[in-house]
Amino acid sequence: MSEQGRKNTALAGTMQRRMMFLLALLVGVCFLAILARLFQVQILQHDYYQAKAIDQQVRDTTVAPRRGTIYDRNNIVLAMSASTETVYIAPKSIRNQEEAALIARELSRILGVSEETILKKTAANNYYEIVKRQVTKELADEVRLLKKEHNLAALALAEDSKRYYPYGSFASHIIGFTNIDGKGIEGIESYYDDVLVGMPGRIISAKNAKGTDMPFRYEQMISAQHGYNLVLTLDEAVQHFIEKHLENAVTEYNVQNRATAIVMDVNTGAILAMATKPDFDLNDPRVIKDEALLAELAQLEGEEYDKRQMEIWQSMWRNKPIVDTYEPGSVFKIVTTSIALEQGVVNPHETFYCPGYKIVAGRRISCWKAGGHGSQDLLKGLQNSCNPVFMELGARIGGAAFYQYAEALGLRHKTGIDLYGEAAGIFHRQDVISKGQVEVAVTAFGQTFKVTPIQMITAISACVNGGKLMQPYLVSKIVDDEGNVIKDFEPVVKRQVISEETSNKVASMLEAVVANGTGRNAYIKGYRIGGKTGTSEKIDEKNEQGVADKRISSFCGFAPADNPQIAILMILDEPQVGQVTGGLIAAPVVRKMFEDILPYLGLMPQYTEEELASLEKSVPDVTALPVEKARATLREAGFTPQVVGQGTEVLEQVPRAALKLAKGGKVLLYTELEETSYSAEVPDVRGLSAEAAGEKLSRAGFNLRATGKDITEQNVTAGMQFPAAGDMAVVGSVVEVEFIHEAESEWVAVSGVENAG
Amino acid sequence: MNNPKAAGRLRKGGRSREAKGGRSAEARPARMQMTDMDLPFFVLVMLLVSMGLVMVYSASYANAFYRFGDSYYFIRSQLMWAALGTLVMLLTARFLTDRLLRMAVLPTFVFSIATLVLVLFIGTVKYGAKRWLFGFQPSEVAKFAVILAMSWLICRQQKKMNTLREGILPCGALLVLFCGLIALERHVSATVLVFAIGAVMMFVGGAHLGWMLGFGVTGVLGVAGIILVSPHAMERMKIWLDPFLDPLDAGFQTIQSLYAIGSGGLFGLGIGKSRQKYLYIPEPQNDFIFSIACEELGFVGALLIILLFVLLIWRGFTIAFKAPDRFSALVSVGIMSQVAIQTILNIGVVTNLVPNTGISLPFFSAGGTSLIMLMFEMGILLNISRRTRR
Repeated sequence: MSEQGRKNTALAGTMQRRMMFLLALLVGVCFLAILARLFQVQILQHDYYQAKAIDQQVRDTTVAPRRGTIYDRNNIVLAMSASTETVYIAPKSIRNQEEAALIARELSRILGVSEETILKKTAANNYYEIVKRQVTKELADEVRLLKKEHNLAALALAEDSKRYYPYGSFASHIIGFTNIDGKGIEGIESYYDDVLVGMPGRIISAKNAKGTDMPFRYEQMISAQHGYNLVLTLDEAVQHFIEKHLENAVTEYNVQNRATAIVMDVNTGAILAMATKPDFDLNDPRVIKDEALLAELAQLEGEEYDKRQMEIWQSMWRNKPIVDTYEPGSVFKIVTTSIALEQGVVNPHETFYCPGYKIVAGRRISCWKAGGHGSQDLLKGLQNSCNPVFMELGARIGGAAFYQYAEALGLRHKTGIDLYGEAAGIFHRQDVISKGQVEVAVTAFGQTFKVTPIQMITAISACVNGGKLMQPYLVSKIVDDEGNVIKDFEPVVKRQVISEETSNKVASMLEAVVANGTGRNAYIKGYRIGGKTGTSEKIDEKNEQGVADKRISSFCGFAPADNPQIAILMILDEPQVGQVTGGLIAAPVVRKMFEDILPYLGLMPQYTEEELASLEKSVPDVTALPVEKARATLREAGFTPQVVGQGTEVLEQVPRAALKLAKGGKVLLYTELEETSYSAEVPDVRGLSAEAAGEKLSRAGFNLRATGKDITEQNVTAGMQFPAAGDMAVVGSVVEVEFIHEAESEWVAVSGVENAG
Repeated sequence: MNNPKAAGRLRKGGRSREAKGGRSAEARPARMQMTDMDLPFFVLVMLLVSMGLVMVYSASYANAFYRFGDSYYFIRSQLMWAALGTLVMLLTARFLTDRLLRMAVLPTFVFSIATLVLVLFIGTVKYGAKRWLFGFQPSEVAKFAVILAMSWLICRQQKKMNTLREGILPCGALLVLFCGLIALERHVSATVLVFAIGAVMMFVGGAHLGWMLGFGVTGVLGVAGIILVSPHAMERMKIWLDPFLDPLDAGFQTIQSLYAIGSGGLFGLGIGKSRQKYLYIPEPQNDFIFSIACEELGFVGALLIILLFVLLIWRGFTIAFKAPDRFSALVSVGIMSQVAIQTILNIGVVTNLVPNTGISLPFFSAGGTSLIMLMFEMGILLNISRRTRR
């Protein structure tokens, strides 16, 4: 026993030593190593792992703010955002292949995205694949139903928004549009993007590894701040008027390089309307409508296609009135006249003589009228748009002063209108124009330099509004959703350029140009319109023969001439019809614009007695009346009744009631059901005098409605007619014929400069 | 070793213990009171079990909710197992005798080998390993069986333990038998654990150091060779060195575990506030429960838990030191080594210090068999502590 005990003790000694060693090894080495590792991960690499962990644990959802609405000045909505939804899938949450197939098939059916595309997305190794954005509420609800029906955890929706432009292509270049991410990339949408966009909100919520929110969640929400709304100076009605007429002009005159028009409040610089035609649909800004261009594109492939398409888009979206420059031509004579009067270098009563040319520094520069205008005073010179008169004025003003005025009128700098991409124009260098007599002479009638239409109308507004150069602007107010005004844009007077007296003189002279000069096609009965025509050569664009054969026809008018309120500048770039002078083709378009705009703005016509006598009247309603009664009513109203059929009661009348018809116009009264209205071919009356046109139409059974120039005047002939010649129209209906002054119109004489040289 | 001679030795030893115990009880009757057990050890065990329960609940409720719609799914059974385990521990501490323990060696051995063989044929596969038999893991029993058998063998061979033929070889054979069977289950962690326990016991039991070292180095080289030729093992090694190689599959658990531990920082997110338990860490109440503990309690909490383990191990070794006999000492050392190695390996895995292999954290990881076995073993230590030499 004792021996065994001793042995036990001896062995226990070894065992205890080894146990001590083992304990030391476990605690001193292994546990210490573990602690060191924990220290490393938890303390030293804490930030790294924490960031990584939070990154996967937290869902940071951005709540898109609603983009501000754009209103016209009467709070008519021009652009608005509607809330829509983004449909997305979490591919990692898709349980199996059948579920993926189901999602692809059903989403494809609801959203119209190809099944193949969705299937590809379901295979992605993440939790977020967008299937379609800007899905309407109705479709989104269908998706929700699908999700519920099949318990599809992988299917999800998120708020987003879509920009809607209720008027489509209306004012497209001004309003601009946004990209798919809601960032403004053109027009007002782009310039005021930071105002419209608002502040995105965030929802920070915990999510589990399956990507779904946790039942035990911590959540923080920063709500989105909606974008501010913009109130434009644009007037929806005015814009519609000018767009309508501009569009017609583009078709009618076959305008090659787009047409543009600006309507400006001359006293504030506010833009009431600004349009370029052809335009594009803001709701589909990438759709090319031009068939020739589409045909051209169809020929291309790959990179070339993309490049050309981009070019076409760029030119389609180009905001012509502020981005493109042009040679203003004779419209610029308004400026020359203003400077000359302000400088006192001309006496209104002094006489100028135009032999059809002027020799400047040894060069013979022609007037547009080969035989010359003979003796004339300044007013007559302006009415005739006589180039030698203005060359003389230019010489008297002198290059240095001309340069200063061009500077003062803002022709050398951007106007600062609230749109991106504005051009500064190209005016002569100070040293060149100060010495160059020829440059001054040609500049005086608006050639050899370029300005933007917005620069031109701003300068002309200054010439007629009492001499103040205004800052043109498009946004009048920034307001929030509650209607609080965040910012109010007051009109900005840049400087007084000419005296009020000079300005008044210029305005009344320009009224005379419209009343009895090259601008007479812009005359409207009952209104006092001032204005100036312009036809300029694009001297930097020559054809194969080296002749600058491209023209720009323009007209700048304002009304009322005695108290100018609004000005319109319209430019037709490369019209292609027989006669392309501003007086012939631009002035009538501006007249039509004024005809619509002035009454809308509350400026009512004030007719002279003479004018009253020739006015048209509305046809009274005589349907359902006994024939005799109807006949009497019509005669009393000054029309000529013509009864068709044997009935006793009027069943139908042509023209119908309320239509405007000249005195003595024919009204057909149908009295029998069998004898209902019939159609006939409309005869061609273009080029005829008013009398001849009326007779020809009458013979064919139509009524004439004369528009345009007063048909009692000399040299007035029929221009455009509607319905067009050859069209079928109901007998007795009104054919609208526009009469224009076939008289002399100015012609540019820049070619003459070269000839003289 | 299953020869009649060995059995005879066992019986003889048993007799002698009985005689000795009887004498002691006669001399000092007060020694058999329950209060005689090592109280610090008991307190430490209960502390660890309690913390384990708290962590099981905290770590499991989200997972339980998602999987079973019942946040208490895991904690309910774990509480039950803990209560049962405590009872088992106390009963063991109270009623176990040296004789009973020695008598249990052979049946345990037979039972363990039988279940290890049986599980290969009718076991349930889970996580690629066939390790479940009627709801319990034979490998859990095997750990204990190895401890008992090894203690018995070392005692039997005590005089010749420092020889190759009589010491290393029989012990090695025993170990290879167990490890081989467990390895057939493809249960790598248990194989490693059982092997480590056996090796430690051989070391303590007085095996020849030179031979042990020789076999050890050979074994390590062999394992390294297997790893090099096995593409599966090689892949595991690569993932161990850089879990971000396959962050969504093989490296997923490790990365998520590191995220949890790392985001804990010094003081943690607070008890119950783990984010990684929300399905990021698969089965957070099992092998990766320590990651959640680190995330919620921070470095300080992790330090505290490790300190409790260290104290328990130290206290357990003290019991072994003072054990009344060689057999009890070896059993104690075996059990405490098992706790220590399992803890070290588990924390090593969750911190990516050692390659990822499924190994549970004693007292913490949810699971019935392992907790009951562990508490039973703690009961044995408490029982031995009551019979220590003073």
